[in-house]
Amino acid sequence: MSLRPFFLWADNTAVSAAIRDSRVLFPIIETIHLFALTVLFGTVIVLNLRLMGVGLRKQSLGTVSRALAPLTFGSLAVMLLSGFALFLSEAMKCYENPPFFFKMTMLFFAIAFHWSVIRWLVRKNGTASRIVSVLAAAVSLTLWFSVGAGGRAIGFY
Amino acid sequence: MSLQDLCHWLQNSEWGTAIRESVWLFPIIEGTHVLALSLSVGTLLVMDLRLAGLLLKKEPVSQVSNQLMPWSLSGFAIMFVTGILLFLSQADKAYGSIWFRLKVLFLLLAGLNAAIFELTLRRRIATWDTQEIPPFRARLAGITGMILWAGVIAAGRTMAYNF
Repeated sequence: MSLRPFFLWADNTAVSAAIRDSRVLFPIIETIHLFALTVLFGTVIVLNLRLMGVGLRKQSLGTVSRALAPLTFGSLAVMLLSGFALFLSEAMKCYENPPFFFKMTMLFFAIAFHWSVIRWLVRKNGTASRIVSVLAAAVSLTLWFSVGAGGRAIGFY
Repeated sequence: MSLQDLCHWLQNSEWGTAIRESVWLFPIIEGTHVLALSLSVGTLLVMDLRLAGLLLKKEPVSQVSNQLMPWSLSGFAIMFVTGILLFLSQADKAYGSIWFRLKVLFLLLAGLNAAIFELTLRRRIATWDTQEIPPFRARLAGITGMILWAGVIAAGRTMAYNF
């Protein structure tokens, strides 16, 4: 199955044209994307530092997770929405852009890992072994940073 | 030598030229700059939200900031070094960019905001450490910090566009 028809459709929506025709829309949406990135990665980093036992150690994993989850979830929603708008405006460029596919693959794994393994560890609230927690945090950070690096590479490719 | 001459000289220095002419160096340094941003400003955001009385309200302010500050400062150090390298590679452009000047201004104001907080309310933190909603000036410092860093990020990102 070829993905080309989907990318062609995405490239030709009214939103795509509107963003392309404007000088300021793309930069504005991208800046919102970057704001949300700071919140998303920031909260993911703090949660993972807690998991590894090297940040906010005096607070329980549950406390840290409960406080940060709405920010993580909210900023992810903003990232997906703004990211989709950016994608619409240059869908055919993305189609020929390997970093874009790398980013989407890593994004899928990062989200899946967060909402499976990380959530499972949070529910155990610190009773999991240190090694498992540190490993999981390392995998999570690697996946999210790969998303970020892949995203940055789209513009440079 | 004027500031403009200095920028021109930096841009044409060995390092500035090497970064600009390499296919990989600029993207790698800029990618690192952005990832360090999330470490530095992301952890700062959690501290500022606590200061503003919006997050982790049951936890003492000093506990949240003492445990996260080393990470924030590490991220800031990486951002500073990579930022200087990026600046070297395009110092001429940065000199003429209103966005770069705004970014530096916001950075200085963020530093000033932090310094004022450290020298005033932070000194008396024992008296308000466990308050769910910290004193007005502490909340103001937290919210001002978040706004200024948002300004740093927005101006930095906009620098890359040729308006």
